[in-house]
Amino acid sequence: MTCTVRIASPLRSYTAGAATLTAHGSSLAEVLASLEQRCPGIRFRMIDEQDQIRPHMRLFVNSSEARELSAQVADGDTVHVICALSGG
Amino acid sequence: MSLSIAERERYRRHLALSEIGAAGQEKLKAARVLIVGAGGLGSPAGLYLAAAGCGTLGLLDCDRVDLTNLQRQVLFDSASVGQPKAEAGRERLVALNPEIRIVDHALELRAANVREVIGQYDLVLDGTDRLATRYLISDACVILRRPFVSAAIHRFEGHLMSYVPGRGPCYRCLFPQAVDGIVANCAEAGVLGVLPGVLGTLQATEAIKLITGVGEPLVGRLLTYDALEMRFAEFKVTRRRDCAVCGDAPTITEPQDMQRDDATPEGLRRLTAAALNELLQRGAKPLLVDVREDAEFAAGHLDGALHIPLGQLPQRLAEIDPQADPVFICRSGGRSMAACQIALRANIRSPANLEGGMLAWAAGIDPSIRVI
Repeated sequence: MTCTVRIASPLRSYTAGAATLTAHGSSLAEVLASLEQRCPGIRFRMIDEQDQIRPHMRLFVNSSEARELSAQVADGDTVHVICALSGG
Repeated sequence: MSLSIAERERYRRHLALSEIGAAGQEKLKAARVLIVGAGGLGSPAGLYLAAAGCGTLGLLDCDRVDLTNLQRQVLFDSASVGQPKAEAGRERLVALNPEIRIVDHALELRAANVREVIGQYDLVLDGTDRLATRYLISDACVILRRPFVSAAIHRFEGHLMSYVPGRGPCYRCLFPQAVDGIVANCAEAGVLGVLPGVLGTLQATEAIKLITGVGEPLVGRLLTYDALEMRFAEFKVTRRRDCAVCGDAPTITEPQDMQRDDATPEGLRRLTAAALNELLQRGAKPLLVDVREDAEFAAGHLDGALHIPLGQLPQRLAEIDPQADPVFICRSGGRSMAACQIALRANIRSPANLEGGMLAWAAGIDPSIRVI
């Protein structure tokens, strides 16, 4: 399964500035593992040591929120990584 | 609240809209709106709400206008530099629309005053630049049953969401907790000047819709904006039953102050890259503890640094001499701050955080070091 991952701007330093990357996997866990291979360190910014999504991060598959890493990802889906922003 | 002849003339284009008309304009005249933060977001929101005839507009900000603000904070001009923002903003809005009442609140919103301040208003716009204040506003609005419109920005990206009591999720449902130091700061990361113009104007749009009751408010929907790609996206967000403030069994029942994002816990030292370099040049041998992940450490690290990924730190504290005054290091200073707090709780004396992390070290001291 191939999907598109859209990266929150605070994490784009891990993607050489890219807003969108391609990743592989049929679950969120697999997609993030695939992303980590390309962008070392990025997964830890989203997922804590207990494999929980960090409370200042939200992950969406297409427009639906995914609260567990077991969430299914289908071919052609877009995973959105959203990070709390503090600026005003 | 009827409109005067002068008001009918001023707001004629609103009156021409069947969705707003005289009834909607009268609602705007009766409305009391508080803008928290007279900055990039509060500037356009304040200007448009004043122009729209919002009857009472509160402007809350404890800062003074700085020259660097003028790149995006269109409420001010060069002559405003050095003036209190709330006062300078009030003067600008009064000049724009003398028919309305502008209240300046030159203070910092805290748990001690939030009830009194927000209690005077029907609707709140969150345009702050501190996460601690974002949570305070959201929690207070849930507890006081006030709607609010939240917006936030970073570099080229913005977020917007509205809250209406009993109708959808609050800010804490969206982001239950923000970890100090991990969420990037706008002042360091930079921001496209026009970005808050877009988001602040959208906040004002939501405010006018909520006041007049027209359209579909952005409740339960997070709107994101990417200026570089000129792309808006929308995500469904639901109320969390376990939300600490609006959930089924709330644990936050009174507004409370969070630790400020920029607060330094007692006993913790902040060390800039230059200060650390000076220490090392002087021959001091502080214990350097790099808390990044394996691949990040392997790409490049400071000579002699002990490597303990943050996730392993609680189990490996014994490797740190409690008398060693350790310096914790990560990529940008967020994880190392968390490491310092773990160390403090473990009674490790005077831990230091390398501010800005290895990125700051590479930028200011050693450009040859690779940071991923």
